[in-house]
Amino acid sequence: MEHFLSTLRLLAIPAAFLLFTASAGADDVMHLTIKDHRFQPERLEVPAGVKFKLLVKNEDSTPEEFESFELNREKVVPPGQEIPVFLGPLDKGEYPFFGDFHQDTAKGVLIAK
Amino acid sequence: MPMTVFGRAKWFVRAVAALAALVPCAARADFHIRSPDEIDEDEWEFEHNGSASFDRNPLNNGETSYTLEIGRGVTSWWHPELELDIGRNAGPDQPTQIQGVTWENTFQLTEPGEYWLDLGLYWEYSQSTQQETPNGTLFGVLMQKDWGPTTHTLNLFLDKDIGPNQDDMHGFDFSYAWQSRWNVNRYASPAVEIYGDAGQINRLPRFADQQLLIGPVLLGSVPTGTSGQLKYELGWLFGATAATPQGTLRWRLEWETHF
Repeated sequence: MEHFLSTLRLLAIPAAFLLFTASAGADDVMHLTIKDHRFQPERLEVPAGVKFKLLVKNEDSTPEEFESFELNREKVVPPGQEIPVFLGPLDKGEYPFFGDFHQDTAKGVLIAK
Repeated sequence: MPMTVFGRAKWFVRAVAALAALVPCAARADFHIRSPDEIDEDEWEFEHNGSASFDRNPLNNGETSYTLEIGRGVTSWWHPELELDIGRNAGPDQPTQIQGVTWENTFQLTEPGEYWLDLGLYWEYSQSTQQETPNGTLFGVLMQKDWGPTTHTLNLFLDKDIGPNQDDMHGFDFSYAWQSRWNVNRYASPAVEIYGDAGQINRLPRFADQQLLIGPVLLGSVPTGTSGQLKYELGWLFGATAATPQGTLRWRLEWETHF
């Protein structure tokens, strides 16, 4: 047991160092709302080249999943709740996203400028 | 109150240490890169992983592994899966048979992108269904970093045989996996993967006697209806040491959906 715990601590030390030497620094906050299984706004301008926080609020009575392959993010938003999605720095361009639970209506694009 | 990063980590270590002390396996590392961010609360996953190894030496040829898994995001930070392990050992005249059942657990410690590195923990317990084969337990640290249009993932594992058929002289084995992926589009993106099994951590064999595989993989997903998607992975891994089969085909199919 002692050998196992000391080995586990060895693995944890570099991970903790890497994790906490640089935090997100996400000073910019952007907002997105889910209502009637649609994102509002469907096209959202965000800053390019910096980290930012996207707050996604679900005003529907059922859960939705904010998902984007281009942004490498997949996160469930419970009904009535708001979740943070940490993004960036993004190169200038367009990054589509969708609601995985209502793919036919919940679609949008982040435009990094 | 949401559990903090340290709270989740402390809970994980205490729970796993307690369970490891109670349970008396050859925990087998799948060819599967594990992301700390793959926690989808309330989503169900149905998954099949497979691999087949090829080597000119008949004694090293023909090892196969197939898994059938069902998983669910129970909370926003804990994802358990139950896996049925089927496989065939390398060598001539080996049967394909059910080898065990594995309970896998992924724990997300940090929000994706909040810190410089995304961090998670992993633990599994394998119950062997074969006589005279030990059970096993495996612990891991999962790390992931986005860099522009690429995503890089590192897994570090320690595993140990446990139970009545374990080798009492054999300690923990160390294994690792790496993936660098270029996120071209959701339907097909290329990646490079590395899988290594270094052996017993306090008695590491020379490098040529360790297992090391490197190769390209194609990954992607397609939507299935208005909710859910089918994900796939297909790759060929080259054996990079004398102890490793010359080539291994690996594949994965996963259907995730919300009911």
